[in-house]
Amino acid sequence: MTTPLLTFDITKRFSGFSLECQATFESGVTGIFGPSGSGKSTLLSCIAGLLTPDRGEIKALGSTVYSSASRKNLPPNKRRFGYVLQEAALFPNMSVRDNILYGHKLTHPDHREVDPEQLVELFRLSHLMDRGVANLSGGERQRVALARALATSPRVLLLDEPLASLDAGFRGVIIEYLRRIWRELGTPMVYVSHSISEVMALADTVLVLAGGRKVVHGETSQVLADPMVARIADHGAFENLLPASISSSEVEEGLSELIVGHARLIGPSVNRGEGEIVTVSIRAGDVIVALDVPPETSARNVIAGVIEEIHVVGPQALVYVDIGTRLVVEITQGSLRRLQLRRGQKVYLIIKTSSIGILDAPD
Amino acid sequence: MDLSILRLTLQIAVVATAINFPLAIGISWLLVKKRIRGRFIIDVLVSLPLAVPPVAVGFFLLELLGRDGIVGSPVHRLLGVDIVFTWVAAALASAVVSFPLIARSIMVAIGGVDERLEMTARSLGAGSLRVALTITIPLAYRGILAGTLLGFVRALSEFGATVVVAGNIPGRTQTLPLAIFSNVQLNKTDDAMRLVAVSIALAVVTLGVHNWLLERSRGRT
Repeated sequence: MTTPLLTFDITKRFSGFSLECQATFESGVTGIFGPSGSGKSTLLSCIAGLLTPDRGEIKALGSTVYSSASRKNLPPNKRRFGYVLQEAALFPNMSVRDNILYGHKLTHPDHREVDPEQLVELFRLSHLMDRGVANLSGGERQRVALARALATSPRVLLLDEPLASLDAGFRGVIIEYLRRIWRELGTPMVYVSHSISEVMALADTVLVLAGGRKVVHGETSQVLADPMVARIADHGAFENLLPASISSSEVEEGLSELIVGHARLIGPSVNRGEGEIVTVSIRAGDVIVALDVPPETSARNVIAGVIEEIHVVGPQALVYVDIGTRLVVEITQGSLRRLQLRRGQKVYLIIKTSSIGILDAPD
Repeated sequence: MDLSILRLTLQIAVVATAINFPLAIGISWLLVKKRIRGRFIIDVLVSLPLAVPPVAVGFFLLELLGRDGIVGSPVHRLLGVDIVFTWVAAALASAVVSFPLIARSIMVAIGGVDERLEMTARSLGAGSLRVALTITIPLAYRGILAGTLLGFVRALSEFGATVVVAGNIPGRTQTLPLAIFSNVQLNKTDDAMRLVAVSIALAVVTLGVHNWLLERSRGRT
């Protein structure tokens, strides 16, 4: 058995609020989801060492970083956790370069596994290195903040709502960067968000908090359909945030061709070259399920898929369809019964071009 | 005009500010960054000289520094000198009276630095001293300087506490405000006016720099 990434069992009280939570996170990407005020940022701050719990224990990769029983409390600068906030928190008295190298220089040479040059390339920052941070765009700021945290070769990257203050376009761009962090650097991440769509897009497992208590903890796809989570999350507004490879940026006027999973989709035009990856957003409630290829429709996309899972959540049903990647579709229970959908069944999904949002912004 | 008055005034204000600066940084840090017990009381004590009449501060210092005082008596016994009615007493009086202005300004400057920047620096591996030296102070230094100047300009104009604890001895403890007072008493209107003009010039220059620094510091956070 491998050593878990993080284990904790902590209590932290404030006047009018308390956090009591116990969980174990494995390596990979873990989401912490909950409405605002649920204690998710408090939990992350406790893990990072920026807040001290009232009692309990926190272990990282088997070693204790906090324990009230043995009076151990490793300060945040000794934990080797990267920590990125919603507002990027770039140091205004330093250039982009000095921001990125700030923590790297403080990292023990034996622990320097990530090369800052590689990060500059990964986050496309080379043209910004000598600039101050004052006039960077929201997306640029967040890229610098991620590079700065990763330059310390952290044992885990803690992300507190890194997309919350970004425009939709930048959100898509940063989501794609976050996917690349895990893929290319293998840095485990704990991702705090109040958006179930983001958590679903990035995390393998998710811990759901409400009122300072654990609601559920498990595989993201199962948690999404959990009836307890349905009370917190609005499934109709659930967005599938999927990576799309551009096969043609302008297949005809105002339209692009995108590859999502193994489906080819016609979407709005995009200002990127062929082969580049962008994030597309497809609302679960905007997809129509058909049993056969429909005759001519005005919708441009009819894609085949196989039903992986069906979850009934209240009056709605979430249907997970495999199209080479997972697409979550929300239909009513009535439609589910009428179509007699079941696992393993082949279905056709109808998606209007205008239902496909391309979340992109210039670099 | 007697240049020695100006020199003595500046000397006393500089020494007072030099005493206050490290103290004010330390106390401000304690009050803003540390959750210490008795915060409230320290906070009141820091601001107290601002609220009580300077004459009362002078009287308190006279009791403290006099030959029978708890500070004055050992100094007299060990070194054989008196503190009261010397320029040192004047500097101490100026220091006490101007301390709240420096400390409160520095508290505002340090407290105005976004805590998230300091937390981020900690998470990047910086200890608290390094965070102070690389993040907090560089971002707050204009406010810190501005507060120090404000204290300095207050020390320049100190009268009430000084006259009680240091007297008004020409050439030894007579600063600009005290000299103006003497000239007014002696009805030497022209001399008083000249000294007033010098006071105003000093104050305008110092306050001008102070305001410029504050203006610049606003653009940074």
